[in-house]
Amino acid sequence: MDQVIQTVIIGLSNGLIFALVALGYTLVYGIIELINFAHGDLFMLGSMVALFLIATVFHLSAATPPILLIGEILLIIALTMVITAAINITIERIAYRPLRHAPKLAPLISAIGMSFVLQNVALLIAGPANKSIDNFLPTTNLLSAVGITSVSVTLQQVFVGMVTLPLLVALTWFVGKTRQGRAMRATAQDPDTAGLMGVDVNRTIALTFLIGGALAGAAGVVQILYNNVTVWNLGFRFGLNAFTSAVLGGIGNLSGAVVGALVLGQINAFSDRYLSANWTNAIVFGVLILVLVFKPTGILGQQLADRA
Amino acid sequence: MTGATESPKYGTGLTGWAAHVGEVLSGLPAAYRRELGSNRRRAIVLTILAILAVTYPILNRFFLQGFSRNVFPLPLPDDTVVTFMMIFGIMAIGLNIVAGFAGLLDLGYVAFYALGAYTAAFLASPHFGSVSFVVLANVANGFPGIHLPFWIIVPLAVLVAGTFGALLGAPTLRLRGDYLAIVTLGFGEIVPVVFRNMADVTFNIGLGPISIVADHLNLTGGPLGINPIDAPFLPFLNIRFNASAGFAPVYLGMLLLVVGILVARNLERSRIGRAWMAIREDELAAEMMGVNTLRTKLLAFALGASFAGVAGSLQSSYLGATTSDFFQFSTSILVLIMVILGGIGNIWGVLLGAIALTYVDKTFLPYLGQQIQAIAPSFPNPAQFNFLFFGLTLVVMMRFRPEGFLPNRQRAAELTVHGLIAAEIARGEEVGVDNLGMAPPGQDEVAGDARAAETVDESEKE
Repeated sequence: MDQVIQTVIIGLSNGLIFALVALGYTLVYGIIELINFAHGDLFMLGSMVALFLIATVFHLSAATPPILLIGEILLIIALTMVITAAINITIERIAYRPLRHAPKLAPLISAIGMSFVLQNVALLIAGPANKSIDNFLPTTNLLSAVGITSVSVTLQQVFVGMVTLPLLVALTWFVGKTRQGRAMRATAQDPDTAGLMGVDVNRTIALTFLIGGALAGAAGVVQILYNNVTVWNLGFRFGLNAFTSAVLGGIGNLSGAVVGALVLGQINAFSDRYLSANWTNAIVFGVLILVLVFKPTGILGQQLADRA
Repeated sequence: MTGATESPKYGTGLTGWAAHVGEVLSGLPAAYRRELGSNRRRAIVLTILAILAVTYPILNRFFLQGFSRNVFPLPLPDDTVVTFMMIFGIMAIGLNIVAGFAGLLDLGYVAFYALGAYTAAFLASPHFGSVSFVVLANVANGFPGIHLPFWIIVPLAVLVAGTFGALLGAPTLRLRGDYLAIVTLGFGEIVPVVFRNMADVTFNIGLGPISIVADHLNLTGGPLGINPIDAPFLPFLNIRFNASAGFAPVYLGMLLLVVGILVARNLERSRIGRAWMAIREDELAAEMMGVNTLRTKLLAFALGASFAGVAGSLQSSYLGATTSDFFQFSTSILVLIMVILGGIGNIWGVLLGAIALTYVDKTFLPYLGQQIQAIAPSFPNPAQFNFLFFGLTLVVMMRFRPEGFLPNRQRAAELTVHGLIAAEIARGEEVGVDNLGMAPPGQDEVAGDARAAETVDESEKE
């Protein structure tokens, strides 16, 4: 039983990271119906940037005083988010915007090309080997304070939640309550009518990419703090996990992406623990295929305008 | 599925398909004559190209290597590279059936390549050492393992890959284009994972009196894969077409490629080919005209997959080994780039794409790498970053020349003008003037839209 609970906790942490990336897929798909294939690789770039900032710029270590540590981590998150958001907007401008009226598969193919470009840029800069840092967050079991030792929750895992949840709340507020968020929803529903109503469609789409990119950057930082490792092709597998999450929850649906990510996090953790990590990828893809074939609208249903 | 509108000659279902494919196959000689005889200029160009292709390996061996070292600035591809040009040529032509003719984006094409390779590995190697089954192969009777000749393995690989293509396609071809792409991608990832992980299989299936038991059976060789695999062998001439056989395998590849070209060419011009085109342009309209869209798409999927099966069985028999590492997503994309670069929908274009990209990947970039390493050893070797160039190629091609360098005229029109109009109409927009500047006049399919555009044009002028 303890083992199952432990697996659930690991799955929850996985799922929360997936959620940040899955939101990027679902936002973009919701608004321009593009599977942004390069998004997983943007997450990978985010983790590379975070690793560079932590190890080379800020020299974070276990010896850094806690207050300073928290401040610097927040700064690193902010910086990484800005950088990945900028990269994502640039990609949209170069690779997707010119293809907005092309046949639907053209931007998807362009995105696949972009994915390989990002991977190889990382390979060029960081080399083919895994890049890792020493863990500098305390690894003590937080639950031992209340007398539970058979199940462990580490500070890293709490940290994943501490970064992810506020971002999810902020995103929900932004899309649901602000003027810009309303413009995004309008554009997703019908870009032409939205344009006629005075929404700057290009700007709104760029904003969507900005938000998705920023979330991928935050996920990259969390990946480094939680798993302490990244590699140039991390984004492919991770991105497909996140995309599967988005599809599982109902693509275009923000809360769906989070629910899907949490479910997929559990699937990953249980497959890793009870089957074999070798099979996890195949299982994730199996889930993806089954969902697409039998319930393409996902758990919570698609929130897409019905455009053929 | 009404026989009257669908296919008057053959029944529906598998036998109908088989009959149709049989007809295509029996039409090959005629296709060959037509290919040469359709017009004089084309016949001359094709003949010259064919002579060049046939003589190249021999010239290369005895003459051109020295020439390329001393006179020509770039290295010429060697026998291995040319063999891979043939293998990728077969794959590109197969993917072109799926993506070019029928307009379905298959991102997991490598799965069928893997299935072909492992078919050869299972049926012509000492891998299943506990049995001995030697039929017509260049192996002594009683030698451990299953050994079938390559000439039987190729049709079997066609069958295996085609069957899996149909199995994957049957539930998924209803999906929208981008979802289908992702599903095929998933399939392309699952197949190598299965081959990698099935090295230690234990099961006990009881079916009444029959019980199938496996106790730690090494089914697929795991991460190490399977080797050695028997080389294709030509009995009377005693030629083994393996990597150490010089240019012999080039001719084997060329033979299979030519058959592939003729089959694809024949399919393109058949009733099925026209149905594919109709579906690609407008699925709904095609269905209204009596095309059984699901069956036709399924046929494209299965036939395209069977080409990769042939390529896979050739590759593993030629190399004498196979592992799941050969079959990665990047290979699917490499073949896709060949198709897009050369000209999606045009067999000669995708063939050119396959030859050019194989050359760049296996000869030019390594050569460039050597040159750079000689001058600046710390500079990154471009051969390791081949997908940086290929990725950029995809982005640039989509942006500036989606129809490829040797475009299929009809496909090019769809990608530029038809596609634009379709997109606009699907989005419920009025068809804008600027978008129609390139509309070719007098084409039936666009006539209605063109009239609409003219109206807009005039009203804007006023």
